[in-house]
Amino acid sequence: MKVTFKIWRQEGPKDKGEIKTYEVDGLTEDMSFLEALDHLNELLVLKNENVIAFEYDCREGICGQCGVFINGRAHGPHDNITTCQLHMRSFNDGDTIVVEPWLAASFPVIKDLIVDRSAFDRIIEQGAFISAKTGTAAEANAILIGREVADKAMDVAACIGCGACVATCKNASASLFTAAKINHLNSLPQGKPEASKRVLEMTKQMELEGFGSCTFTGACEVECPEGISIINIAEMNARRSKAKWLS
Amino acid sequence: MFLKKSIIALTGLFLCLFLIVHLSANCILLLPETIARDLYNSYSTTLRESTIIKVIAYVLYLSIILHVFYALLITLKNRKAKPQKYVINKSNENSSWTSQNMGLIGVIILLFIIVHLANFWARIKLGIGEEVGLDAMGNKDVYEVTHTLFQNIYFVIFYTLISIPLALHLHHGLKSAFKTLGFYHKKGLTILAKIALFYAIVMGFGFGIIPFIVYFK
Repeated sequence: MKVTFKIWRQEGPKDKGEIKTYEVDGLTEDMSFLEALDHLNELLVLKNENVIAFEYDCREGICGQCGVFINGRAHGPHDNITTCQLHMRSFNDGDTIVVEPWLAASFPVIKDLIVDRSAFDRIIEQGAFISAKTGTAAEANAILIGREVADKAMDVAACIGCGACVATCKNASASLFTAAKINHLNSLPQGKPEASKRVLEMTKQMELEGFGSCTFTGACEVECPEGISIINIAEMNARRSKAKWLS
Repeated sequence: MFLKKSIIALTGLFLCLFLIVHLSANCILLLPETIARDLYNSYSTTLRESTIIKVIAYVLYLSIILHVFYALLITLKNRKAKPQKYVINKSNENSSWTSQNMGLIGVIILLFIIVHLANFWARIKLGIGEEVGLDAMGNKDVYEVTHTLFQNIYFVIFYTLISIPLALHLHHGLKSAFKTLGFYHKKGLTILAKIALFYAIVMGFGFGIIPFIVYFK
């Protein structure tokens, strides 16, 4: 299988980037997309050229590191997957594949396809945790939680912070990510004591980081590898209004 | 950001309500001319003389101004959040064209509103331009103003074509306004989506067809 990669190359955060073209032969349909990039990098090493910098860790769809924009879609042509779950069989022999880093003012490019997503960490630092004494683990059934609440919390806890929601949003809004983190803890009894502070502080940080606002295009929920629904953003808005005006 | 979005949502919902009243009144134009003229003119006179309607009219002007102003502010901020565009972006595969272009559609509607106000509001309420005559009952002959305007095929086509972006804007706007304001009931949102579609079709079709009917009457 032979494809033409058109890949964003950028030396450093302050450098000007550009799309470079690479003809790559010897790929197979069974290869994952990241393996195809590995293959290309091996060819670049043999030619004594700089390899393409891209992020990955688990390669099994759970770590959220491997986000890149492929042929106009976050994580490639399929809905609700990570880049590492994309395989070359999704492309045809002779295809041109354009690979770009996430684009958002709050996600500056570090090198090539790697962006700095620490803005997400700073949002998390504002309240995506519960204050509890650590030590011996408490009895799991001490706090009973209804199945519906547990499932709902788990659906949003599934967020791996890959940044596809920001990348695909025309406003680079981090609303889906922030909503997932807030709704996860605020819907559980353990999260209740700090619920108001959590929603106010985290949404405030989201704004301070320079992310745009949510227009409900719905693009984020289609690209989210965990399929987190945008209804969560409406729920975050409700929780925020309640915390701001009623408590 | 949240307050600005809420203002856009609230003013938008108020404008949605206004359009229902506006279209209902426009339906008078579909009646036979003998009845329509008197009814339409006396209706508009009643509106102009009512104190409550005067207050609502100011709320309406304010709503349009705030809706546009905050949409502009938010758009500028959003542009700053996403300064660079992708070489290829297949946004049509994950979201509707309308949802991606609410600003553009809004600008088209705003241009229409300016023309529309110049056609009617400026002449009838401000007395700018050609003077509006009186009908047999002594009311300002607003029916005649409408009738004359829609004898011009270009205005008919303009008013009809504008109903398309209007319907698109209303469809997405109505759905997302509720979500912006924090309505997150899953089943409720499914019903809301259907209501928004129905509302947008009725508004688009209603406002779009009336100029044509008046033209051929």
